[in-house]
Amino acid sequence: HMAEDSPGLLQHVKFQSSNFENILTWDSKPESIPGTVYSVDYKTYGKPEWLAKAGCQRITRKSCNLTVETGNFTEFYYARVTAISSEGWSATKMTERFHPQQHTTIKPPDVTCVPKVRSIQMIVHPTLTPMYNADGHQLTLEEVFQDLFYHLELHVNHTYQMHLEGKQREYEFSDLTPDTEFLGSIVISVPTRLKESAPYVCRVKTLPDRTWT
Amino acid sequence: EFRFGPCRVEGVALPGLWEAFRTVKDAVQVQDNNTSIRLLRCEVLQNVSDSESCHLVHDLLKFYLNTVFKHYYPKIAESNTQPSFSTLANNFVFIVSKLQSSQAGEMPPDKDRARRRFLLFKRAFKQLEIQAALTKAFGEVDILLTWMGKFYQL
Repeated sequence: HMAEDSPGLLQHVKFQSSNFENILTWDSKPESIPGTVYSVDYKTYGKPEWLAKAGCQRITRKSCNLTVETGNFTEFYYARVTAISSEGWSATKMTERFHPQQHTTIKPPDVTCVPKVRSIQMIVHPTLTPMYNADGHQLTLEEVFQDLFYHLELHVNHTYQMHLEGKQREYEFSDLTPDTEFLGSIVISVPTRLKESAPYVCRVKTLPDRTWT
Repeated sequence: EFRFGPCRVEGVALPGLWEAFRTVKDAVQVQDNNTSIRLLRCEVLQNVSDSESCHLVHDLLKFYLNTVFKHYYPKIAESNTQPSFSTLANNFVFIVSKLQSSQAGEMPPDKDRARRRFLLFKRAFKQLEIQAALTKAFGEVDILLTWMGKFYQL
């Protein structure tokens, strides 16, 4: 019984990428067709061969982690899914051309907000990616995006915010009122790629001033 | 600002080029059915020295203007993406004009190396049927912009 194409079997084959964690996802219509299995292939754009993704052959779930296989952030990739139903229907669909550096979204940074009496220190921790260079060194977002910088805001009240920005990891908002609550918001920005992360938010209170006046 | 070795080009915003191409990218790349051929492949763009880069980007952008954009335009005219197309084309014209003035009269060995890289690209382009070649080359503007981005400073 030759498998024939069935469009509803397979839809929306695409990469979902965040901080270079590249997950291939797809849907079917209706939601689940019992007995349908899926197989994933991937290739580098410009190379002739499609490669089968081990661990994603004849699976029933609708996602497949291709982070390692698409781990060269300068390369361009394609992936495709083949679905085969228990009645012999089949469908194959390919992603758009995927370029990790272009398509990945950036998660909020990891930040430690340290309250002092009249200042708040903010320490941005490096974000490691799942990628390694030729020497086996795990790359950070800063190493992948040369123009990456941090933008920090401290909301003092409804009308007044303080701003700091830069490429370094340590920042300090000073001349603050002791024993007062502030809202800090920190985003990662990559201007040449038109990328900006969602904010990391910290609510922090300056310490009481115990010095005798 | 772009710094292609000795050649400086100010007044071009790379994010703007990305934004322009992003509008047309998916519509163009989906028409490129041949995923096994890449025109701007590694041998063309990898390990380009600063001194080669000016010559190579000049040749590539001129080819894109005089061949790719020129002959691909009818397809763009059918879709409503002319503004993005014009942004790309006008910025490429501006860059080429700035590069031309920077490298007049120079004939260093770098020019020959850059020329050989460009000819690799052009030969691959000529080996395809013309419409397929135009679609593929236009769809590879993101590869070109990614490479140009290495020479860009905010």
